[in-house]
Amino acid sequence: MSPLDAPFSALADPTRRAILARLAQGEATVQDLARPFAISQPAISRHLKVLEDAGLIETRILGTSRPRRLKPDAMETLWTWLGQYRALWEDQFQRLDAVLDSLDDSPEGPKP
Amino acid sequence: MTHAHFSLDGQTDVVIRRSFTHPPARVWRALTEPALIRQWLSPDLTQCQMDARPGGSFRYDWPEFYFSGPVLDARAPEHMVHVEHFNGDTTQGPTVTTTLAADGKGTRMTVVMRYKDAAARATAIEQGFTDGIDQVYARIEGLSFPS
Repeated sequence: MSPLDAPFSALADPTRRAILARLAQGEATVQDLARPFAISQPAISRHLKVLEDAGLIETRILGTSRPRRLKPDAMETLWTWLGQYRALWEDQFQRLDAVLDSLDDSPEGPKP
Repeated sequence: MTHAHFSLDGQTDVVIRRSFTHPPARVWRALTEPALIRQWLSPDLTQCQMDARPGGSFRYDWPEFYFSGPVLDARAPEHMVHVEHFNGDTTQGPTVTTTLAADGKGTRMTVVMRYKDAAARATAIEQGFTDGIDQVYARIEGLSFPS
């Protein structure tokens, strides 16, 4: 198993991505998180467990409340990889742009 | 200035979207003619073969590794499906579907890289597709990647 299997598997679900998007705005309780979704609190709790097991979020203990929040390190790891990925592709695409521009000048056929 | 949009779809797909200011016929040429592929894919290519026809195949060689595979489907200038094996390992590698759609005078390109399962996709992402590509880019173009 790769250390990234769990986070990417956790992120494959749209509800869990929406939960992460909400948590990116600040910590929230299960009740807060369940409100915008048409699913039950137990279902939200199961999604939260997947996210927590994947190391993407953590639970804070605040009196009787258990707000969840993003784990900064985990998300940073994911974004680092995604950023690297994008940089590689974008670099190729910018060279591709230049090739396409050069074809404008010789539309009659391929270059030798 | 357009930027590539990169996303994960479902359990197995990596989707890359990019717009170009040139029409699909021109983009298709750049993606399928070896002399043009050489100009953008990597300055370090030692060999570049592409037969973009159904039943065709491709092979791109770098000094220390290569990508190759069959072209499963091709319909110029809008649709191509190929499989991308690394160093001849035919047990692995994504199936890549490239779609070019006319958008005004330009082109919207969608590339779907489908891995055999979630673990295969995670591994590919983790490696930045391959360590080899990272090294080549880092060496040749001095790109710096966050560690």
